[in-house]
Amino acid sequence: MGLSRREFLKASAAAAAFAAAGAPGLSPFRSEAEAADAGVKWGKAPCRFCGTGCGVLVGVKDNRIVATKGDPQAPVNKGLNCIKGYFLSKILYGKDRLTKPLIRKGDKFVEASWDEAMTLIASKFKEAIAKHGPDSVAIYGSGQWTVFEGYAASKLFKGGIGTNNIEPNARLCMASAVTGFMTTFASDEPMGCYDDLDLGDTYFLWGANMAECHPILFSRMIDNRLKNPKVKIIDFGTRHTRTSQMADQYIRFNPQTDLALLNAIAHVIVKEKLYDENFVKNHVVFKKGKEKIGYGLEDKFKFADDPKPMTFDEYKKFLEPYTPEYASKLSGVPAAKIVELARLYADRSRKVNSLWTMGFNQHVRGTWINNLVYNVHLLTGKISRPGENPMSLTGQPSACGTAREVGTFTHRLPADMVVMNPEHRAKAEKIWGIPAGKIPAKPTYNATEMFRALDRGDIKVLWSQVTNPFQSMPNLNRYRRGARKGDGRFVIVSDIYPTRSTELADVILPSASWVEKEGMFGNAERRTHQWFKMVEPPGEARSDLWQIMELAKRLGHGALFPYKYVEKEMFEEYRKFGEGQGKDLAPYEAYTKTRGLRWPYVNGKETLWRYAEGYDPYVKQGEGIKFYKNKADHYKAVIWARPYEPAAESPDKQFPFWLCTGRVLEHWHTGTMTGRVPELKRAYPAAVCEMHPADAKGLGIKHLQKVKISSRRGSIVLPVDLNGRGKAEKGNIFVAFFDETKLINELCIDAYCPISGEPDFKKCAVKIEKA
Amino acid sequence: MPVSGVVLTCSDGCADAVAARIVDFSGVEVHGVLPEGRIVAVIEAESIDAEVDLVARLHEVDGVVTVRMAYHNFEDLS
Repeated sequence: MGLSRREFLKASAAAAAFAAAGAPGLSPFRSEAEAADAGVKWGKAPCRFCGTGCGVLVGVKDNRIVATKGDPQAPVNKGLNCIKGYFLSKILYGKDRLTKPLIRKGDKFVEASWDEAMTLIASKFKEAIAKHGPDSVAIYGSGQWTVFEGYAASKLFKGGIGTNNIEPNARLCMASAVTGFMTTFASDEPMGCYDDLDLGDTYFLWGANMAECHPILFSRMIDNRLKNPKVKIIDFGTRHTRTSQMADQYIRFNPQTDLALLNAIAHVIVKEKLYDENFVKNHVVFKKGKEKIGYGLEDKFKFADDPKPMTFDEYKKFLEPYTPEYASKLSGVPAAKIVELARLYADRSRKVNSLWTMGFNQHVRGTWINNLVYNVHLLTGKISRPGENPMSLTGQPSACGTAREVGTFTHRLPADMVVMNPEHRAKAEKIWGIPAGKIPAKPTYNATEMFRALDRGDIKVLWSQVTNPFQSMPNLNRYRRGARKGDGRFVIVSDIYPTRSTELADVILPSASWVEKEGMFGNAERRTHQWFKMVEPPGEARSDLWQIMELAKRLGHGALFPYKYVEKEMFEEYRKFGEGQGKDLAPYEAYTKTRGLRWPYVNGKETLWRYAEGYDPYVKQGEGIKFYKNKADHYKAVIWARPYEPAAESPDKQFPFWLCTGRVLEHWHTGTMTGRVPELKRAYPAAVCEMHPADAKGLGIKHLQKVKISSRRGSIVLPVDLNGRGKAEKGNIFVAFFDETKLINELCIDAYCPISGEPDFKKCAVKIEKA
Repeated sequence: MPVSGVVLTCSDGCADAVAARIVDFSGVEVHGVLPEGRIVAVIEAESIDAEVDLVARLHEVDGVVTVRMAYHNFEDLS
């Protein structure tokens, strides 16, 4: 009996699904499955989308991707991908893929050769540097840059051109998580790993719609709960999502009041003496910083904290006003519920985890709220233990691996180092083989300030790679206009498709994407994952890495990149920064053979739980828990007394609603990749305004009717959705930011956390009228 | 016509009911109901659009907790 090609493929599909479901023996189709895959070459790669970092096997035939599989050998996802995995098939193959450099001539773009484009770009760099100095040029990169791309950009700009004008779009998503880590532990990135999702039994989610934004991680938690009835998932949210639906409890709270809630939880734990006295005594110091720290709304806003030590008693006093009743008044969460959840947090028979993403990070007090969730874990000693950790979830596939670990920020160098520290600069100068004093000592601009500087003309030349700032910046109108003010400004945008950013560029460069180049990403659990090039990029598209090295050559900095096998040699050089620093990476070869490795990687072993004896090679026998990166505080972690302070702009009579923005399952960020799938647009065709039915009724609006939403900065017309997967609470609306025809970020306020520089995309005030 | 293999996880005791329900969805073939509430199915559709629509609909079926994809072949899409 012969089977058609179609039947072979279905057999393959079923066999893979049986294997992934844990029952490979039950598949009757093994030989047919093999036949189906004949002629297809499979290679491993991390998924192109979120910070989960699932393993994918990419099937290539005749220089084209023809199939993908969940990678059965990937510990992250064990053979299964989420719905976005379907779109890996299409990211590279949209019809309007950029294939040639384009130079602006008036209102049009004209095709050019690489030589013409790079000659022009280099001349603009040279001119600006000569006339206005090295700080007049800048690069804006991405948590979707490969490790190599971020490292090359940092080396060129800091080590070659001599400017700290490098920022990633991760300033907009993870900066507060970073400053939270640095102020609490003196080292970036989580102490736990995804194994905590399998081993724990209590999961507090804070402002994180995991079911839609980290579906595979959510699945791991759910699989755990299906096996273990003790498992509880508590969803703290300002809107009801699919996550809320699947959680055991949904706790609705008023925007911004997370600050009061976590302090109230700490208040109960302290008052009822539920804290781990020994742990606090041995592993914690207390500090307070400045209060009323502002909102970053003025150009060139500067803030420096002034930490002062506190005693435990002083901290207890600080907590006194944060009674459950006070927090209840602010947040809308019943006082009894706050007490119940505080006791759940402290329950010694439970393995408690907290998980969060943008609700905490995109917050004008983002650093503070990250500190506050750590406070609860530090008071109870529920940290650095298998199955029990606070876990900051990462949005982008390499915000960790590239932006944070390589340090592609104005103030950073690799391996947690900072430009402000002369020893750090000296170490970088040595490894990079550049003259002492080359790396500037002062940070320049965070992302928001960088675009303000372009608007003012203090930055003349700005290069954007693998990101879409002229759709994603808050208070967007100002920055879009700024890009086209002329007067010596020159904007270069590298991307794979035309976007709302390429349309404002002076030069557009066609880039290679994902498996069209060799690459490396680092996910949210410190797992660095490598892949080889599997298909050729289309037309004349080239990797962003090639583009940076090409500019370097033309600016006389070619000596910074003396490599033959660029990716491997560059990585081996980069490794030197983290060696012996608790940030150890493995040799490049090791990554080519594995589905990623979690750092610190020492003596051939990954680290699953940092700071913990028996798991972290930096902690000696008998030391138990040691926060060994915080030498200044005798290797202890910091509990910070951080108060509740209101949002930058709260609803008032004129603008009575909260506007929150974010992502939805089917679209990735600004939709430049997923939007290419014309079919995807059917599932969630265009942006809508999620609204509560009572609010709609009050405004006389019906489901799918159009409304005009206005803030002090911009306005937009959208249909109202009263019945979507996400359900807004009263007084709140939610709009996703993927739709390039509906630039919701024009309404958002460019207020940011003064410590992290991360803008608050979740809170501003709007009014709503019938359109 | 793209083809994919998916694994559905169902809440306690719901797997058989879910399987019976989704068997009626055009383009969905149920290949097995495993212990621990897992269902193995194969999905075929005219386009990726239709595949995603179908998977999204599976997500919404009462008793379905997660839907994840194990294999996706789209070699005949130009």
